[in-house]
Amino acid sequence: MNIRAQRPGRIVLRYLLLLAVLAISIGPFLWQLSTSLKGVGEDIYSYPPQFVPSEPTARNYARVADVVPVWGFALNSLLVAVANVAANCVGAALAGYALARMRFFGRKFVVLAFVLALLVPGESIMISLFLMMRSMQLSNTLLAVVLPGAVSALNVLLMRNAFAGLSYAVEEASLIDGANAWQRFTRIALPSVKGTIAVVAIFSFMFSWDDFLWPLIVLHDPDKYTLTIGLNYLQGTFASDQRLIAAGTIIAVAPLILMFLALQKYFFRGVGAGAVKG
Amino acid sequence: MVTDDNAADRLPGRREPNSHCVRSSQDAPVPSSAATDLRAAGRGARRSGRGIRRHWRATPWLFLLPGLAITLLFSLYPFVNTIILAFTDAQVLGGGNFTGGANFSRMLHDPQFWTALRNSALYVVGVVPFLVLLPLLLAMLVQRHIPGIAFFRAAFYTPVVASVVVVGLIWTWLLDSRGLVNSVLKALHVVSEPVPFLTDETLLLISAMLVTIWKGLGYYMIVYLAALANVPRDLHEAAEVDGAGPVRRFFSVTVPAIRPTMVLVGALSAVAAFRVFSEIYILSGSSGGPAGADISLVMLIRQVGTGLNGELGYSSALSVVLFVLTLGLMLLTMRLNKNEEVA
Amino acid sequence: MRSARILLAAVTSVAVVSLSACGIGGSGDSGSQSTANDGPVTGDVTGTISFETWNLKAKYSDYFTGLIKQFEQQHPGAKVNWLDQPADGYADKLSADASADSLPDVINLSPDFAYPLYKKKLLLDLDKAAPDAAKDYLPNAWQGNVMPGQKDNYAFPWYLNTGPYFYNKKLFTDGGLDPNKPPTTYDELAQQGLTLAKNTNGAFAMLGQTPQIEDLGLYGVDLMDPAGTKFTFNSAKGVKLVELYKSMYDAKALLPEALSATYTGSGKKFLAQQVAISSGSAYDLQTFRTDAPSLYANVGITAPMTNTGHANMYVQGLSVAAHSKNKATAIAFGRFVTNAQNQMAFAKIVTVFPSTAGTLNDPFFTQDDGTDIGRVRVASAKQLANGINYTPVQLSDQMKTVLRNELANAMLGKSTPQQALDNAVNQCNQLLGH
Repeated sequence: MNIRAQRPGRIVLRYLLLLAVLAISIGPFLWQLSTSLKGVGEDIYSYPPQFVPSEPTARNYARVADVVPVWGFALNSLLVAVANVAANCVGAALAGYALARMRFFGRKFVVLAFVLALLVPGESIMISLFLMMRSMQLSNTLLAVVLPGAVSALNVLLMRNAFAGLSYAVEEASLIDGANAWQRFTRIALPSVKGTIAVVAIFSFMFSWDDFLWPLIVLHDPDKYTLTIGLNYLQGTFASDQRLIAAGTIIAVAPLILMFLALQKYFFRGVGAGAVKG
Repeated sequence: MVTDDNAADRLPGRREPNSHCVRSSQDAPVPSSAATDLRAAGRGARRSGRGIRRHWRATPWLFLLPGLAITLLFSLYPFVNTIILAFTDAQVLGGGNFTGGANFSRMLHDPQFWTALRNSALYVVGVVPFLVLLPLLLAMLVQRHIPGIAFFRAAFYTPVVASVVVVGLIWTWLLDSRGLVNSVLKALHVVSEPVPFLTDETLLLISAMLVTIWKGLGYYMIVYLAALANVPRDLHEAAEVDGAGPVRRFFSVTVPAIRPTMVLVGALSAVAAFRVFSEIYILSGSSGGPAGADISLVMLIRQVGTGLNGELGYSSALSVVLFVLTLGLMLLTMRLNKNEEVA
Repeated sequence: MRSARILLAAVTSVAVVSLSACGIGGSGDSGSQSTANDGPVTGDVTGTISFETWNLKAKYSDYFTGLIKQFEQQHPGAKVNWLDQPADGYADKLSADASADSLPDVINLSPDFAYPLYKKKLLLDLDKAAPDAAKDYLPNAWQGNVMPGQKDNYAFPWYLNTGPYFYNKKLFTDGGLDPNKPPTTYDELAQQGLTLAKNTNGAFAMLGQTPQIEDLGLYGVDLMDPAGTKFTFNSAKGVKLVELYKSMYDAKALLPEALSATYTGSGKKFLAQQVAISSGSAYDLQTFRTDAPSLYANVGITAPMTNTGHANMYVQGLSVAAHSKNKATAIAFGRFVTNAQNQMAFAKIVTVFPSTAGTLNDPFFTQDDGTDIGRVRVASAKQLANGINYTPVQLSDQMKTVLRNELANAMLGKSTPQQALDNAVNQCNQLLGH
């Protein structure tokens, strides 16, 4: 806006404040990174604290893999997250389109079901879900981790709104050309809501990659652990070495930070949309 | 590395800053603007005689099948099941009879329940004011397009993308009795003995709140940025001409203009805070603090309902309480919002 | 308000559909199937059985594959599938299997895990199914798997363990204690702890753990009534022990962090030389040698503290699933794994102790070979001969949490020792009734 109208002192103050907040918000990550790079010979409790490792080493990353199958955890997390993204994009787009563009008896009822589902906190049904998974013989499987959030009601409603916001004209034209519902959906509607789909994909990925409580309940075999509960396991079992835990957390958080830096605008756009979720 | 200078300008709902989000869950299945579009479109279609009914009768249901099946099966059915189980003495290893309200009367005499309820409520009280106010100030700080601002916005958002577990572990290490925070405090001669952030009952809860606030700042900052962009600039300028300082302009111009967003942020953060689990779980090393004094309601639900001796009935009853109170919190904040609109 | 009516209709219809809610009835009480539970199991040792161990695959794979091969050779037609479940989540795995009625045929259980399964009639009564088995085992080990209110046993006793105490001789000296006279009773522990705390001014602590249920037992408190229907550890004696700990806590002889620390916490603090004494297993000695050489040089080993003259004994057993299709094979395999010869072989590769009658008299357990491990082994074996499993099988994880929390309150001074124990007993009894 109008920078010239501001006195230089104000600008300096603004930057100083920005730098202070910067230190608070990414300082902890950098400290964790620094800890993860410190060798066994270096005292991590040294006083005053040493911010830059004196002899940086990547050995902790190899060591953490000796202690727990951290790459296996990462693979599990990836499988779960990818499945979650795919299911959410496909399921939410299909349902959203039907709700926005088709007229049929019971539509209101269906919308209501989705809204109701939105209101139920996941934490209050987790025990019951665990029972279901158990009786379906799915407990301790990655499928059980994916299923409850496979098509979230929020995403369905998001997609519904996105489709509802599209103009009718083009679709009506294609109707004359004899396009059926599926063709209208894939050729005309879908390409127009790419942005919303990206938001759905990214937030599904993030929620799934970061999810903790549900996998903690439904998985009990370390071979099946996702990264988040794997890290908790690492902390509980081998807490003696902070360097290893630091390396583990960096492995878990790095992919998301990189993804965020690459796809920032979708992350920001998703905040407005996802705000309903709470 | 940071490319998008105008992220906030491209936010959705910029013109209609977010207020629809809360309303949508209240009175209508659909955010109002979209619903109007749809109705208008529906009329148009009918009038033209063709309409969107040009499909096979089962088509919509085929489209809905995956989403609806998942929602009914893994949200609504477990929800109903939870309510039913809440009135039984079902165990993890099967069995269970209807016991009426026994689980609920048991709650009244269960000290753990009251501790958990108190902590979850305290969490709301401790977290919400900060998450309503701090991100707003932060948003105002990054609002102007000065050089490098995109970098700062991205950096401030980073804690949001990290999982709670990662964030919890990072802070566990920072707040350790020999961790960075204590080292720095010692170096500055603020304290002589390490502060027991993670071992003292009260400090542990406060530390967990700090982590929640730290992680939530960036998210709500973006929500506020979208709202701030809608505050008419001439209002500010007029106030400035009248000689109002920045503090007075904040209270007389900014706050009234974005009040609905503040209520929204309050509602969202309150509901999330009431359901706290991971922060306390991780910071306390899964124990719930000394003597379990920092256990939250969700932690209690998990603790009671799992394991070989898990009590599904009681755990479900606790879940029902969680649901009712969460819903109550939502309704309460929406009531606030409504009053605001009337006024 | 049309939507409200639709909502109501939706909820009621779903509710009607799901009146047979998930989680009610179902597994467990299928007592009718277990008719074979009434008498000796006879039949050919043949067919396939599954065998589940608890956290043993990583280190002892060779031993078990050898064992299984041998069994299969002795019994042509029999086949054993070995499963191993890691330490974490064993309870969840068992509950999933139990509810699906797919428990493995032979299951490695500690008595507190066996108890809930026994209550659901999912385990075979071995006194009835294999009447001649009891005599093969140490009476106290066999007794360790007898379920409360029953005379019968539900698991073949397998390996035993007992925790020696490790102490740090250097910290003992620094604290003004005699490093050659570690405490042998809880009263001595408290007395020495207070001395140490006075001399060190809180630089390190004596102990890193609040009392557990077995400490109460070892102090001579009657934990339950004879019928095993209610807890009674809020007696005067129980209060006395809690008071001892409270005095240590107040003097900082008991590490303040211990209030939130779990058992591994105490071990870690010992490793970090912040506490002077800690219970453990012979296995820990190896950890000290590799991870903390300076500690290893100063470590002393002593018998567990006890005021009853008996040591606490940890028991692992092998149970047979009540619904096993090949009970004869399962019983034969359970007895095979737990026979004297195989237990002896196992004890030689792991630091555990055999539960078979007479095996502890082997020179391996009676003669000190001069090594540290040997010393611990001989000391432990001696205690096991008259050891008691003090942990009541009825004590669930939830009850353990209750006890830990209430005792922490007593340490913090939020309640008196008497109030804390009363509260714990009340809550545990209530949980027991549910």
